[in-house]
Amino acid sequence: MGSLEGILTGFQVAFSVEGVLFVLIGVFVGTFIGMLPGLGPISAIAVMIPVTFGMDPTPALVMMAGVYYGAVFGGSTSSILLNAPGISGTVATSFDGYPMAQQGKAGKALAIAAISSFIGGTISVLLLMMLAPMLSSVAISFGPPAYFALMFLGLTAITSLSEGSTSKALISAVVGFMVVTIGIDAQTGTQRFTFGNANLLEGIDFLVIALGLFALAEVCTLIIKRKDLSLDNTHKLGSLKITKQEAKEMSGPVTRQSFMGFVLGVLPGAGATIASFIGYITEKRIAKKPDEFGKGSVRGLAAPEAANNAATSGAFVPLLSLGIPGSGTTAVLLGAFLVLGVQPGPLLMTDRPEIFWGIIASMYIGNVFLLILNLPLIPYISKILKIPRPLLISLVIMFSIIGVYAISFSTFDLYMLLLFGVVGFLMRLFSFPAPPFILAFILGGMMEQSFRQSLTISNGNYMIFVKEPISLTLLLIGLLSFAFPIIGHLRKRKG
Amino acid sequence: MKKYLLMLLFVFLTVLAVACSNDETSNGDANGDWEPEQPIEIVAPAGAGGGWDTTARMAAKVFSEEGIIEEDIGVVNKPGGGGAVGWAYIAGHEGSAHNLFVASPPLILVPLNGQSEYGYDDFTPLANMIADYGAFAVREDAPWNDLNELFEDMKEDPESISVVGTSSPGSMDHIQFVQIAKAAGVDVTKIKYVTDPEGVGLTQLLNGSVEVFSTGVSETIEQVKAGTIKVLGVTAEERLEGEVLEEFPTAIEQGIDATFVNWRGFFGPPNMDEAAVKYYEAKFKELSDSEEFADIRSQYGWNEMYMDSEEYKSFLDEQNEEVQSLLDELGLGE
Repeated sequence: MGSLEGILTGFQVAFSVEGVLFVLIGVFVGTFIGMLPGLGPISAIAVMIPVTFGMDPTPALVMMAGVYYGAVFGGSTSSILLNAPGISGTVATSFDGYPMAQQGKAGKALAIAAISSFIGGTISVLLLMMLAPMLSSVAISFGPPAYFALMFLGLTAITSLSEGSTSKALISAVVGFMVVTIGIDAQTGTQRFTFGNANLLEGIDFLVIALGLFALAEVCTLIIKRKDLSLDNTHKLGSLKITKQEAKEMSGPVTRQSFMGFVLGVLPGAGATIASFIGYITEKRIAKKPDEFGKGSVRGLAAPEAANNAATSGAFVPLLSLGIPGSGTTAVLLGAFLVLGVQPGPLLMTDRPEIFWGIIASMYIGNVFLLILNLPLIPYISKILKIPRPLLISLVIMFSIIGVYAISFSTFDLYMLLLFGVVGFLMRLFSFPAPPFILAFILGGMMEQSFRQSLTISNGNYMIFVKEPISLTLLLIGLLSFAFPIIGHLRKRKG
Repeated sequence: MKKYLLMLLFVFLTVLAVACSNDETSNGDANGDWEPEQPIEIVAPAGAGGGWDTTARMAAKVFSEEGIIEEDIGVVNKPGGGGAVGWAYIAGHEGSAHNLFVASPPLILVPLNGQSEYGYDDFTPLANMIADYGAFAVREDAPWNDLNELFEDMKEDPESISVVGTSSPGSMDHIQFVQIAKAAGVDVTKIKYVTDPEGVGLTQLLNGSVEVFSTGVSETIEQVKAGTIKVLGVTAEERLEGEVLEEFPTAIEQGIDATFVNWRGFFGPPNMDEAAVKYYEAKFKELSDSEEFADIRSQYGWNEMYMDSEEYKSFLDEQNEEVQSLLDELGLGE
C-alpha cells in the first residue's frame, strides 16, 4: 500500500463518526488532566487504559493518542496561572508565561500558549504525515556520542538562562548536576548518594524538583509579599486579544520551534521537555532583545509551547515506526497498544495502515478540537486567579502534593517536594536562579550516561566524539556559542 | 466554579483515602479451609504499564471476571528502587493473608546487588505463573550467524564487541547474557556492557553504536519480521512456540548448556499462614488453567509455567545460587 493510499485510509478513519467522537473524548480528558498541576500525560494515559478494554483498537488508540497530546496542550495552563508546571514539558512555559500573568495579562498569555501549541501541533502533524516513512531512519541516527553533543549544546545556554550573576547561575547548575546523580548509576549498578535509602535508588523525579523549585517556592514568596499591593494585577484577566505586533513577534519563534521541536521529539529520549528548553534557549539567543526574556516575553512563551507540542507528535515516529518508546510517557502508551493487541514497529504501517495513518490523521482534528476547547475556556479557567489568595495558595500546595503523590504513591517524595520547596525559596532569597538548576538536571543525567556509553564503546578513546559528523557539528556549534559572547565582550573592551 | 473545585477536591481526597488505606488484619485458620474476609491487595512494585503491573492487573481481572475469587481484588503500584520500595511495604505486612505482590528475577538480583534489604527468602512464595526468555539480537548484516561465532569473536577480541541492555550491570539484561556467555567459555569479566536506561537499546543496535542487544524475546519479533535484525539465540530450554518465535534457536541446541528464565509469579508477606498459602496455590492453579488467562498469555507472548509454593521455593533457591556465583565472578555482588 502506497503512502498516499494509506493517508486516505487514515482520513477515512479519522473523519468517521467514531473517529471524531473518540478524538474528542481523548483530547478533552487529556487537556483537562494536563491542566491540573502535577498531573500529566502519564497519569492521563494510565487512567484511560482500563476504558479501552474490549474496544476496537483503532478508535481506542486514536483516543489514547488524543489523551497524550491533549495533556501536553493543557499542561501550560497551570504553568502560566500558578507557576506550577502541569507536566515536565511546560516548565519552560512558566519562565515567561507566569510573569505575563502577573502583569495582568493572564488571558493573553493563555491565548498565546494555546495558539502556539496549536500551530506547533499542526505543523508537526503535517511533517509527520509527509515524512513518516523516512523518519524512522532519523530516529535511529543518533548514537551515544551524538546525544552527548546535543546535551552539551543545550548546556552551553546555562548562563543565558538567567539574569544577574553568572557565578550564581553556574553554582545553581552544578547543584542540579549533583542532584541528578542521586540513585543507582545505570552504567555500573552502583548506588550514588542514596545513603542506604531505598526511596532514593531510582533518583529524584523531575516533577518533584520542578514543583518544589517553582510552585512551592512561589507560594512562599506570595505569603511573604502578602501586603504588597503591586501584585494586585494578578487578579486581572486582561484582554485575550493578541495585537498585530504580538502576532508578528510570535510568528518567527513558533515556526522555527515547531520544526526544531518536531526533530527533537523524533529522537528517542529527547522529547517534549528537552525540546521546550532548547526552544526557549535558542529563541533567547537569537532574539534582538534577549533582556525581555523571563519578564513576560511573547517570544519566550510562544517558543516552548510550539516546541513541546511539536515534539509530542514527533515522539510518535519512533513509537509507531520502530516500536521504540522514547520516554516514560510513550512507554505507557506502548503498553496501551499492546493491551489492544497492536504491536507498533516497522510493519505497522503496512500491516495496519488504518491504525498507523488513522492516528496521524486524527491529530489534525485533535489539534483543532484542542484550540476550540481551550480558547473559549480561558475566561473561566483564569477565574482561578480571582480566588482569594489564601485559598489559592492552599490549592496550589494541595495540587502539588497530589501530583507528586500520583507519580510514586510514596510519602517520601512528599518530603522531597517540601525540601525542594524550601531550597527553591532560599535560592530566591539569595537570588540564585532556578532555571539553570532545572536545565542541568534535565540534560545532565542523559549527558553523563551517553558520555560514558560512548567511552565504553570506544574503549576509552575520546576520538569517538569527533569521528561522526552529527556529534562533531553539534559540538562545534556548542563551542561557538560559548566563544561568541566572550569574543564580543573582549571587542567591547578594546573599543 | 467554586462548586466544581470543591467537587474535584472531594474526588481527589476520596482517591487519596482509598489509596492510603491499609488492611492490617488477618485471621488465618490453620485448621480448616481459609477464605479471604476482606478485599485482597496485589502490589506491583513498579509504575503502571510495566510487566509486573500488567501481570498483576490481568490476574486480578480474570480472578474477578471468572469468579475464581469472590472477594474484591485491588492492584496497587508501589514503584521505587527497582522493586525495593514495594518489597519493604509488603515486609511490613508480616503474616497478612490479604497482601500479595507480583515478582520476577529482580527479586533475586536486586538484593544480591545490595539494593534491597529484603530478598526472595523473606517472603512466602505462592505460585509461579509464567515464564519469559531472553534473546540476543544483532543487526541483519552482522558477520555472526549463531551464538558460537559471536562468542568465538568475543574470546579473541573482547574490545571489539559491545552489548547493550536496558537495565544496569548485575540486573536481568546483563546477567542473562553473562550466564550464556560464561557457559560458552567467554571471560565474563571482559564483556563490554552498556546500559541504555532510556530504553532505546534497540536504537543503539540499529544505528551501529553497539553490536549485540540483550533483551526479552517479544521485543525482537517486529524487527525480525521487518528484516532489520536477527536473533542469534534465546535463553529458553526448548524452542518457543509461535510465528517467528519458533525460528529462534536456543543456546542449548547450539551446544551451550545454559538457560535463563524470566519467571513471574506471586508472593505473600513473610510468615503467611499455611492455610492461606494452600488457598492461593489452588486459586492460582485455577487461574493458570483457565482459558481466559491462556488468551492473555498468548496476547502478551508469555509462556505457561505454573509452580506451586513448594516447587517455587526450591526453584528460587537454585536460581539464587547461580546468580550469586555469577555476580561473585563479575565482582558485582555484595
